[in-house]
Formats: sequence, C-alpha cells, structure tokens
Amino acid sequence: MLIQMESRPKAEREAVRTFAAWKWMVSVVVTLLLLLVACYFLIPVVWLLIAATKTQAQLSSTGIFSLPSHWALWHNVVLLFTYSHGIYVRWFINSAIYAGSVAILTCVVCSMAAYALAKHVFRGREATFYLILLSMMIPGTVAAIPLFVIEQPLHLVNTYMGVILPLVASPFGVYFLRIYIRDVVPNEMLEAAKVDGAREATIFWQIVVPIIRPALTTLFLISFIGTWNNFFLPLVLLHNQSLYPLPVGIQLLLSLISTPAADQSVPIYQLVITGSLISILPMIIGFILFRKHIVTGLTQGSVKL
Amino acid sequence: MTQSGYGNRQVSSWAFLVPFLLLFLAFLFVPMVYAFYSSLFINRMGQEVFVGFRNYLNAFQDAAFWGSVLNVIRYAVIQGVIMLVLSIALALLLDTRYARFKPFFRLVYFLPYAVPGVFASIMWGFLYSKPLDPLLQALHVDPLSSGALLYAIVNIATWEWAGYNMTLYIASLTGVSSEMYEAGVMDGCNEFQLAWYIKVPLLRPTIVMTIILSFIGSMQLFNEPFLLSALTPISQTFAPNLDIYSMAFGLTNLPYAATLSVILGAITIFISCVAMMVTRLIQGARSRRKHVALAVEV
Repeated sequence: MLIQMESRPKAEREAVRTFAAWKWMVSVVVTLLLLLVACYFLIPVVWLLIAATKTQAQLSSTGIFSLPSHWALWHNVVLLFTYSHGIYVRWFINSAIYAGSVAILTCVVCSMAAYALAKHVFRGREATFYLILLSMMIPGTVAAIPLFVIEQPLHLVNTYMGVILPLVASPFGVYFLRIYIRDVVPNEMLEAAKVDGAREATIFWQIVVPIIRPALTTLFLISFIGTWNNFFLPLVLLHNQSLYPLPVGIQLLLSLISTPAADQSVPIYQLVITGSLISILPMIIGFILFRKHIVTGLTQGSVKL
Repeated sequence: MTQSGYGNRQVSSWAFLVPFLLLFLAFLFVPMVYAFYSSLFINRMGQEVFVGFRNYLNAFQDAAFWGSVLNVIRYAVIQGVIMLVLSIALALLLDTRYARFKPFFRLVYFLPYAVPGVFASIMWGFLYSKPLDPLLQALHVDPLSSGALLYAIVNIATWEWAGYNMTLYIASLTGVSSEMYEAGVMDGCNEFQLAWYIKVPLLRPTIVMTIILSFIGSMQLFNEPFLLSALTPISQTFAPNLDIYSMAFGLTNLPYAATLSVILGAITIFISCVAMMVTRLIQGARSRRKHVALAVEV
C-alpha cells in the first residue's frame, strides 16, 4: 500500500491527501452538529437530574444547570416517599400493576387473534382483519369519555380492571403479530402437528408461542411503555387518588402549584421534580437495556406495511 | 363429533378470536356507537330528552369549538413540518459515512420515546418558567405567554417524537440493498445527491405514514396544554380535547361532549383519508410500485 503510494506521481498523492483531509473535516462538522442536537434531547433530563438535588430555595437562587453546594437529593426522596402517607409509592405500584397486566394480557389476547387471522381459513377473516386495521385510525381520546359512561353501570369506574381492560384490545398488537406469525411460523409444522392429532390449543401454545417469542417480547415492551405513559384514560376513569398511576398522580401534585399551600406548607416543586425523575428512570433504564427489541418491533410494524 | 372437520376449524378459529373481539367490541366499538347515540339527546333537569341532530346543529354554530379545531390544525401543521424536517435530516445525516458514534446518537435521539408526555411537559414547563430559568429572564422571553404557547407546545411534541420518526426512517433506509447506493456512487453521485435523489424517494411511503400518524396524534392534543395550565392560564378552547374534557367533567354536559367527540373523530378520519387518497393518486401516477399502496392501507 505504502509502496504504491510512493510510486504515484506527487500531484496525485497531494490530491488524495487533500480529499482525505476534506472528508475528515466534513466528518467533524457533521458529528459536532449531531452532538448539538443530542444536547437538545438531553437538556430536559439533565436539568431534571440536577434539579432533584436542590432544595426549594436553591431552585430559584442557583443557576439552572449548576449543582448545589450540598446535595438535597436524599432529603427530596424522603420528602416524596413520606408525603401524604407514602401515596407516591402507591402510585408507583399502581403504574406497575397497570402496565404489567396490560402488557401480559395484550400478548395473550392479541397472539391468539393474530394466529387465527394468520393461519386459519374461515369466512369473515378478511372482514375482521380490516375492521381491526380501520380502528387503528380512530383517535384514542374519542372513545374515552363514552367509555367512562359505559363503565359506570358495569361498576368498572374507579377499579384497576376499568383501566386495564380497555387497553388490552390493541389493534396494533394483532396487526404486528399477524404479519410475524404469517412470515415466521412454517405451515408444514402446523400441518404435521395436525396429522399427529394435536388439538388447536396444543398447537398454539406448544408450537406457535415458542416460535413467536421474540415478537411477544417486543409487544410486551411496547404495550408496557404505552400503558406506563398513558395519561388521558386513567385521568378520565379514575377519581380515587389511591388508584392513580404515576402521571395522573404527579399531575395532581402539579395542579397544587398555583395554590397558596404550595408556598407555605408543601414543597410542591421538590415533590413534582423528584417524583418525575423517579417515574421516568425505570423507563429510561429499561429502554436502554431493551432498545433492540423495541426498535425491531416498531420498525417491523411500520416498514413492512 | 358429528361436525365436519371444516366446521370444527371454523369454531376453533372464532374461539381464538373471541377474547380479542369481546374486548374490542366492549371497550372500543360500543363506546363509539354509544358516543353517537348519546349525542342525540340533551340533559334537561336530569332527564335525557331525545333531540335528534340538534346537538350537531348547535355544534356547527359553536364558534369556540371551531376556533379550537382551527388552532389544533394550525398546531398539527407547524409541528408536523418542523418534526418531519428534523427527523428526516437526522436520519439522513446518521446514514452518511461522515457521522461518528452513530449508535450513541441514535439512542439519545430516541430516548424521549420512553419519557411519558406528562413528564416531558413538566420538564419543559419548568424550563419555560421564568422564576426557575434565569436565561429566559435575561432574554425577556416568555414561552408560556399566550402568543408563544403554541410554539412552546410544538417544541415539547417535537422533542418527544422526532427521534421516534427518525428511527422509522433509519430502519427503512437500512432495509434497502446497498447495491442501489453503489450504483449511485458509480454514477458519480455525492452524498447530498445520494440522499436527495435516492434515499428521500425511497423513504416516501414511510414519510406518508408518519405524517398521517402524527396528524392523528396532533388532533388529539391534550396532555401538554392540560399540564402546562398549572403553570400558566390556558384557554379551554386552545384544543378541542380540552374543550371536550371540561364539557364532560367541568360542566357535566356529557351529551354535548359526546357530540364534539364524534365531530372531532370524524374530522380527523376525514382529513387522514383525504391525505391517503391524494398520496395514492400521486404515487399511482408516478409508479405502480406495490409497497406504496400497502403503506397507505394503514
């Protein structure tokens, strides 16, 4: 390589070198630009981390991105966890219950439906599938208020089930798993099992489910995140503070900010900031750990359309 | 076992579908139908009185509601354009050989997807608040003033969703065989021409889909203004869903809230369908590629 370079005329070597230098320059500029954008995406989270280490007085007296002289993070966490008999812990557990139950039930219910729609031939199959597809276009909040009215006679308002059940029937889940099952589960395998006299339920649980486990992981994560982040539905359906998930609970705290109590008795800023931080940390850590599964799921669901 | 094998299979197919369909009907379909049904009544002294389409006639003359619809459409267009440009630019930049530390940048840009909208609104809301942010005080800027509020919310939504869209674009780009790029390079394309003439046209179906999804999301705008209203006064007519929410729970006028919900849903679906048909016509005229039609399906 070196010998080749040496044997070339000087002018050509110069040209190669200038081109390499130019490429390096462009690379530096592009990367700096990307770094600048990265700062934009990180700023609110970094601010939240710093703000959680400050006391109420330090929040307004120190620069927004400067660390305080002595850390008040532990003090703030204790304040949060003991506020109103530990209601924050309750909200955290509620969020985990909602997100976990919805994610598990979505996987079960959607994979069953997707299996039938992908591998069975029956009258009404296409119509059912298109009905489900179409419903993906309905704005979610349109159904929320009528849902509240319908849940009243069913005694589902102000219950865990009232929040969980409406979120389980995910059209995206069926759509996503149907594509996956259609493409990944071999028909020969199902036929062979049928010849051996296996029942449909056995085929589904023993053959289909193990094969589609990667897709189920993805759907689990996506619906877990979706439920953990949902605000409007629990806001409409729940009126008992001890059933709130984190976003609704923190919103309740935030709404106290303009009341006189905020200045005197309750350190609202501290509670909201520390509460927000602890609410998003598990999501951010989980997201970094499981990013691959989430990305493949989201992109398979959309690229393959 | 008198049934034929075919009949058995039919039964078992529906058995697999029943749990999903039951939930789907009970918690999505029935509420939609019920929303329409209840919009045909009014509440007079605690009594439901059938009035036909009178709620709709009232709604069509409801200037506050239509003001909020126009405002949210304006928001959807501004936010959609800014986010689209940003996320396409980021995807294309990360797809060149000039960018370094690609996995790191992809992770950081996509990270806000994991942050609930409520907390995004709280973080930005505090950063927008003058008492907490000396920079804003120095610059005499107030993002929470009524004139700037729309853009303050545009920024929150862009922060939340730009990385998500970028991720979809990057995935569509990596799905393409490298032969096409090599052919472009052979023909003497530079990186910019490669992006503009080869990558952007390839992204078009994904772009159409993300525009429609982002539009449907924007029309439902609620969380951000609802949260920010704790920090600054925000009119109920800023977005239709704020109006509908206060109609249902503040004024407890459920029939009228249902009427407005139905109209908002119809407008959203109508505009989405028109957008799909227009792109389908344009694409159909341009090429007969199958994947476009399939993308438009959803």
